[in-house]
Amino acid sequence: MFVQFTTWDIVRNLLEAGRWTLALSLIAFVLGGLVGLAILFARISKNRLLQALTKGYIEVFQGTPLLMQLFIVFFGLSLLGVDVSPWIAAAVGLTLFTSAYLAEIWRGCVESVPRGQWEASASLALSYTQQMRYVVLPQALRIAIAPTVGFSVQVVKGTAVTSIIGFAELTKTGSMLANATFQPFLVFGLVAAGYFILCYPLSLYAKSLERKFHVAR
Amino acid sequence: MTTTRRPFLRSLCALAAGLAASATLGLASAHADVLANVHKNGTLRVAVPQDFPPFGSVGTDLKPRGYDIDMANLIGKELGVKVELIPVTSTNRVPFLTTGKADLVISSLGKNAEREAVIDFSTAYAPFFNGVFGPTDVKLAQAGELAGKTVGVTRGAVEDLELTKIAPASTTIKRFEDNNATISAYLTGQVQFIATGNVVAAAVNDMTKLRRLDAKFLIKNSPCYVGIAKGETALTAKVNEIIAKAKQDGSLDAIAQRWLNAPLPKDL
Amino acid sequence: MAYQFDFAPVLQHSDLLLTGAAFTLALTAVGAVLGIGLGIVGALCRAWKISPFDRLFGLYVEVIRNTPFLVQLFFIFFGLPSLGVKMTEWHAAVLAMVINLGAYSTEIIRAGIQATPRGQIEAASSLALTRLQTFRHVVLRPALTRVWPALVSQVIIVMLGSSVCSQIAAEELTFAANFIQSRNFRAFETYFVTTAMYFVMALLIRQLLMRLGQRFIVGRPR
Repeated sequence: MFVQFTTWDIVRNLLEAGRWTLALSLIAFVLGGLVGLAILFARISKNRLLQALTKGYIEVFQGTPLLMQLFIVFFGLSLLGVDVSPWIAAAVGLTLFTSAYLAEIWRGCVESVPRGQWEASASLALSYTQQMRYVVLPQALRIAIAPTVGFSVQVVKGTAVTSIIGFAELTKTGSMLANATFQPFLVFGLVAAGYFILCYPLSLYAKSLERKFHVAR
Repeated sequence: MTTTRRPFLRSLCALAAGLAASATLGLASAHADVLANVHKNGTLRVAVPQDFPPFGSVGTDLKPRGYDIDMANLIGKELGVKVELIPVTSTNRVPFLTTGKADLVISSLGKNAEREAVIDFSTAYAPFFNGVFGPTDVKLAQAGELAGKTVGVTRGAVEDLELTKIAPASTTIKRFEDNNATISAYLTGQVQFIATGNVVAAAVNDMTKLRRLDAKFLIKNSPCYVGIAKGETALTAKVNEIIAKAKQDGSLDAIAQRWLNAPLPKDL
Repeated sequence: MAYQFDFAPVLQHSDLLLTGAAFTLALTAVGAVLGIGLGIVGALCRAWKISPFDRLFGLYVEVIRNTPFLVQLFFIFFGLPSLGVKMTEWHAAVLAMVINLGAYSTEIIRAGIQATPRGQIEAASSLALTRLQTFRHVVLRPALTRVWPALVSQVIIVMLGSSVCSQIAAEELTFAANFIQSRNFRAFETYFVTTAMYFVMALLIRQLLMRLGQRFIVGRPR
């Protein structure tokens, strides 16, 4: 009645589940990055209303667990009669979450560009857009790389909570396998290795970018 | 400021109105007969466990298998429709039902008054042979002797509901997320006893030699029920009819033999 | 099928929710203090290349940052007993949080330290400041000032992440939520209430830590 799993059965299933983790992470990065950029510009704009709205947005999505955001998007909208597929719910939930964090990280980076740089570029009669484009953003970008990549590692791991809306990604598959095989150490050891393989290259990439920009300075 | 605020507020109102409209529409259309919909679509969507052997766990192909899955297929066959299995966890199984994303929940559900206020239950479809297990050298003959002891259990499972009722107040009940965590807690000595199904305990004894699970006493047999959305009387009647027939013609007994290694109790 | 919301069955368990929230806050507080402390030590070893600790901390940071918190927690709670180290679910939860936050804050604070121009340290030594004075006033304080918002965000991430501790039966806020909804099947109501509680806790922690940071690290405005 209990099926015997070979180690290869476990590895094979985890590899397949890893593809979900990868796909969900990519969605979160791309959409979260784009929306995050929009939120960033609204957050640092001179319009008070935009500032307040985006501040609220960031606080809500940074201050509540992603699991519960996903739960509310997927099941809550259903109660209102809006039937969303798990993919849409995951995309929306992960985008809201990722964009809130990225916008806040990037705002910190923009603000760490010394005021003198703004003043100097203003005295050169650059417009706001030009100041941003040529003076502030290039400098902020350099500071932003390490924390952005650092956060992206958290996004990869954060996709685990999508199991609440039915995705059998790496962690969920791990717990399914552990429950079927009674070999938690083997299974969760492999799960940890899976995340490490996905995340470590990101960390290495961040390091090399950091080094490159430090040399450039 | 004011010029930017007005259009924004207006669009916010429009959005809210739109949401409200779609909500009433949605609720209206959702208030249909689930049984009729199942027949119309030709599929029965059933929420089943994937981390709770022997009722539902995965095979090497990662597809769910177990008592609950066989039960879902049996109901689908009787209805003459295809079965779509939705793997769920103890956290999201009921929301899948209440939001209409699943037609039935067959997930070894026990019932209590609070739960019955939220969803409807069929008649019993499965027995639950479970007990308290522990090391060979420790004596424990009945629930009363659990006073001052630590017992691990899977949160929200039938054995959790029952044990909470019968254990003395001084018992520490540690409630873990799933069977795997409960069993690991026992095997690594984090808890003295666990409450679980007979079949699970036997499988653990087969597969690992870390720490033996010896049956101490049986928890009162408390059966499982199929969960159905509130007020779906036609569907409930149909499911009850199918369960009654399956009890008569022996097909439910075959499922019990297959997954629980025991015949279906006469009084179920 | 219109779902009838009823918060009463959830609110009747408000004692469980409040106790859970208190435990979450306590876990976070201990985790934050010890974790940031560990992070400062780690960042120094890393930034000043104190051998062999810089390499050890480097390895530690990579292992922790690139694996899920849940697996770290399982390892501590289920894995260590086989090595003869047994602890309660609370000790395991606190230890996991300290180790996790320690790794992230090592990296965050290191970035802050490295952003301090070397000239400032040279200037400090030419002013005859002792090593300790240099460290406190020229290295650590500006570094912490620079990265304080990032550290506060990380503490909040860890606070929200502590919900995973419910899986090893630590009775924090998410445990309370899952316990309640396993009894009464009121998943929506329970999650709405719990989400609101996490939100309030996150706001409070951010306010509190930003104020503390302003007062003790940045110093009062001149």
